[in-house]
Amino acid sequence: MSKLFPTQEIGSLKKPADMLKKVKDPNVSDEEKIKIRNDAAILNIKTLEDIGLDIVYDGEVRRVEMYEEPVRYVDGFDFAGRVRSWDNKYYNKARVVGPVTFKQNFHAEEFNFVKENSNRELKVPITGAYTLADWSYDEHYKSKDELVLALAKNVVRPLVKDLVGLGAKIIQIDEPAATTHPAEMDIFKESINESVKGIDAKFVVHACFSGNDYKALAPQMPEIKAQQYTLEFANRDTWKEGLDDDSRKGFNVLKLFKEHGFEGEIGIGVSDVHVNEIESPELIRDRILYAAKALGDPTKVYVNPDCGLRTRTREVSFDKIRSMVKGAELARKQS
Amino acid sequence: MISSYTFGIYPRSEELIEATRKNTENLPSLFQKETEEYITAQTNANLGFVSDPLLKWDDIYRPFSNLESVNLSSLNRIYEMNTFYRILSFDGPNFINGGNTVQSNLDSSLPKNKTVAVPEPFTFADRHISKEFKTKEDFTINIAKMLRAEIDSLVADGFDIIQLLAPSIAYNKEVDFGLISDGLKILTDGLEAKTILHTYFGDVSSKIESLLGLPVSGLGFDITTTPVSSIEKHSFADKILSVGIINSFNTAIEKPQECIQQVDEINAKTKPKESYVSNNFDLEYVPKEFAMNKISALGEIARGAKDV
Repeated sequence: MSKLFPTQEIGSLKKPADMLKKVKDPNVSDEEKIKIRNDAAILNIKTLEDIGLDIVYDGEVRRVEMYEEPVRYVDGFDFAGRVRSWDNKYYNKARVVGPVTFKQNFHAEEFNFVKENSNRELKVPITGAYTLADWSYDEHYKSKDELVLALAKNVVRPLVKDLVGLGAKIIQIDEPAATTHPAEMDIFKESINESVKGIDAKFVVHACFSGNDYKALAPQMPEIKAQQYTLEFANRDTWKEGLDDDSRKGFNVLKLFKEHGFEGEIGIGVSDVHVNEIESPELIRDRILYAAKALGDPTKVYVNPDCGLRTRTREVSFDKIRSMVKGAELARKQS
Repeated sequence: MISSYTFGIYPRSEELIEATRKNTENLPSLFQKETEEYITAQTNANLGFVSDPLLKWDDIYRPFSNLESVNLSSLNRIYEMNTFYRILSFDGPNFINGGNTVQSNLDSSLPKNKTVAVPEPFTFADRHISKEFKTKEDFTINIAKMLRAEIDSLVADGFDIIQLLAPSIAYNKEVDFGLISDGLKILTDGLEAKTILHTYFGDVSSKIESLLGLPVSGLGFDITTTPVSSIEKHSFADKILSVGIINSFNTAIEKPQECIQQVDEINAKTKPKESYVSNNFDLEYVPKEFAMNKISALGEIARGAKDV
């Protein structure tokens, strides 16, 4: 993108409460439910566009969540039941009971709809093979590595190929599990490379911060066939304005990426998705300017929240994105 | 036949999950009903010791948030799991109370042969924070004193075996065994009950010699992360050996005959003072239907294994 510091959303937004109520209502017809979901998607797309994001999607408004949605459409999985995430929050976890096979492009309808309803650049989020494997029970394959590669080759790659065939130009592979197992970075790297093999598109990898500050990921980055990483930084940064290392301690790790020879783009997380406080545009400006300096090239910096915003209210989410867009404008003026 | 037990938090049923989310009127009775189901399942499986399924506990540390000057803080990942716990912040000196925090959160209908799990001091201090105690050593020792009061209360109530959960000893590459030992001494000196230190979430192959020197009655191992071949290199003549043969991280149900053979081989090589089989960590990582089948398989393994 020719514009400096392009802004983008990263994934899921909280679903509108009235939409959820209606789609769960047995008295509402299937036809009506399709319209309700479409309206909710348009609401998200237009809101993100009106705020001024350069790269948009629909806030994953049609998806159950990032694990259950794809698993529903892949042969070889069988849902076992719900397992705790924390407190009384649970996710539906599946067992792998046979060879994993791609049945259909489960994001096709969603992508076609977004494409028809937006003129902006689109970034399609999909769940990566490593995370799908890590969050499942495996009763079929001999090892985790074997399952990860089977998912990469037989599920994610056909999905990506099909999305690109439909016109997708930017695909974000969501891999929140990747950094939780620092010792398994080799298979993670192989899974991404297998997932995108022979496909012409821009690939973005989204990985969460998981305690080791991306130190295990950094050495792998130059060898992974991704042009951009969207990563979390804001959640361990200070709220002080400034361009010094102490104020911007959440972003210090960017220097490590450069040291390891990574020359691609970084979508820097400038908004903490775990708190309701809204980062000021001035704070976001400083985070962007610090990142540009650390990477040594401002054209490599994209701007996004740390992660999907679905745990925040819609009001807080949009306020955070609004502030993010303003912060990027301030940063452009100073560059 | 050898002895057996399960430890940690058990899974809630789909019905109970929904009830906790909606805070339904029948929630207390559902908790009680499922607690009794799990106790019955363990009794029917002839497990040597029976544990409370801890269904009301949101994580293994949560009851301690009721202590004076202990505050709930942010969520933190449980090692490399896709599950989180709430960090506790120990913000004052007076958090050691009468020692009934754990006991008051257990079901009163447990049979006489009962066991309970508490985190050991090093792991506890490793996973939580304190504004009061400035060094890890100070924090760990004070946590140990708090836990000793809890354990004394549990032993007085008839608990025969105290499981000491030690995932941080396994997970962290380098640990201070001097500090670990100091903490455990506070827990076990003169205690009229057996204590078994359970390591999981990491391979402890290189730490087994140090673990054998700790002041506890026995050691428990997760054999999905610590290879059996490593355990078998050591003599357990002076220690209880608890083999975590039931994998709480996979829905595949263990084949009892294969497990019996494996346990017999381990015992033949390590010659433990006493032999137990258990789960490798909390059963709540599989849904209830699978947990129930695993409890049953554990009983069958214990009944089939040769006495030592």
